[in-house]
Amino acid sequence: MTATDHRTTPPQQATPRPSKPPREDDPRNPNKRLAALYDADSLELISADGDSGMLAAIGMIDGVRTVAFCSDATVMGGAMGDEGCSVVVAAYERAMADRLPIVGLWHSGGARLAEGVLSLDAVGKIFHAMTLASGKVPQISVVLGPAAGGAAYGPALTDVVILGPEGRIFVTGPDVVRSVTGEDVDMLRLGGPEPHGRRSGVVHVLADSEEHALGEARRLVALLGDQGRLDVTAVEDVDLAEQLPESVRRAYDVHPLVTELLDAGSALELHPRWAPNIVTTLGRFGGRSVGVIANNPLRLGGCLDSTSAEKAARFVRMCDTFGVPLLVVVDVPGYLPGVGQEWDGVVRRGAKLLHAFSEASVPRVTLVTRKSYGGAYIAMNSRALGATRVFAWPGAQIAVMGAVAAVRILHRRKLASVDPDLRPTVEAELAEEHETIAGGVEKAVEIGVVDEVVEPAKTRSALAAALADADHGIRGQHGNIPL
Amino acid sequence: MAHEVNAELVANVWKVVASVGDRVAADDALVILESMKMEIPVLAEVVGVVTEVSVTEGQVVTEGDRIAVIEPD
Repeated sequence: MTATDHRTTPPQQATPRPSKPPREDDPRNPNKRLAALYDADSLELISADGDSGMLAAIGMIDGVRTVAFCSDATVMGGAMGDEGCSVVVAAYERAMADRLPIVGLWHSGGARLAEGVLSLDAVGKIFHAMTLASGKVPQISVVLGPAAGGAAYGPALTDVVILGPEGRIFVTGPDVVRSVTGEDVDMLRLGGPEPHGRRSGVVHVLADSEEHALGEARRLVALLGDQGRLDVTAVEDVDLAEQLPESVRRAYDVHPLVTELLDAGSALELHPRWAPNIVTTLGRFGGRSVGVIANNPLRLGGCLDSTSAEKAARFVRMCDTFGVPLLVVVDVPGYLPGVGQEWDGVVRRGAKLLHAFSEASVPRVTLVTRKSYGGAYIAMNSRALGATRVFAWPGAQIAVMGAVAAVRILHRRKLASVDPDLRPTVEAELAEEHETIAGGVEKAVEIGVVDEVVEPAKTRSALAAALADADHGIRGQHGNIPL
Repeated sequence: MAHEVNAELVANVWKVVASVGDRVAADDALVILESMKMEIPVLAEVVGVVTEVSVTEGQVVTEGDRIAVIEPD
């Protein structure tokens, strides 16, 4: 575990350091950071403003009473000792007792070296408190500076991690990496916005300024802490088909469709750049907080793969445990085939999504826009997994696989005996016949896996009615393990 | 530094859209791949000038293969 080095240099060797700004003027001052998080004049400290390296407060965020704590990076770079960790644990006790959301602002080199194993034990107690609170109160982390070792795993245990432009997250810093492995890497490449936003999935939301980071934390507190009631009369219909290309073969970006589906200006996407073939977005629908899960055909054709299944599974479980209903927008050609996927554990990791949807007790409504094939059909909140209601647009295809691929298997012998020049024509005929038997939306309605075919221009109101019918305030009784 | 655009998945190169010397924006399609019975555009990702198109129509690419190189502004 990385620790901040705060050994003093003998005075005779010391090079004159630029004089430190007084704490009041230091942008790292936790009083300032907490004040910027809360509604004006609502902050009340619940810990001593001393040199523990942590400061905790309670106050209002967009009208939601919220507990927060902040690293004090003006003291030993925010390193965490026994006293500072106790501040965080006490903040968690308060949040749990009053069932309030809790926000952590992080800027810390990790455990205090001088305190030895005492500081490790203290950091461990934070992890324990976070885990006990998991799924009971929303936990949001904002990483504003380096967060190393224990300060990295703290945010990682919470529901949503926001990274500011100066935020860096890693278990061991560049110096340790260099001395152990010889790899030369800086903090930005090791644990900055690019690696954590795109590659690791550690960070859910990237912010381009500290103010923006705190603003996104406030939006999340409001979405999870004040979910509102679904007002079906506030949900106006728009023609959602306009967001899809004419050709059913054409890939497209699903974001505009998700934005149109939700109330204007309410969408907050989590993990936008990691596993971009599935979109996970929180927002409001008829004024009520909802979670949207949508395949994105623009990336990997919208296929499910191991990473996207894991991303979606965690999102589903988070929404379920906080009682946030789900809208599932399906346009999926299947699971991504290939050696890489199998070796990457697509079976194990894909199973997480099956598990997450199956156990979810919040209302969860599915909309198939174009197609839903194979194992991915099942995984995308199908009737069999307990979907509240399944809608499909006219012409949607629901099948084990595309019709041409299916007839090539089903009629392999027959096709092999046909003159190669005639084969495409025969294939097309067989595919058409197969579609009417096995793949059309009418068949799916007939056997009960689709409840209703709905016009794109009437979809918003249909989804609202289905959600409102099933919204009885039930939520999942489980934690939100960082899958 | 030149920006390399790579294939995200195994696919046939269905159509090459961009040519060397073209100016492209981040959301412009360079080539259109065909995979999973869909036409999937490969986007430029950066603003700049195309300095290399590494594939031809009908070619099969696998994950990670170079599609094109762009010299960003």
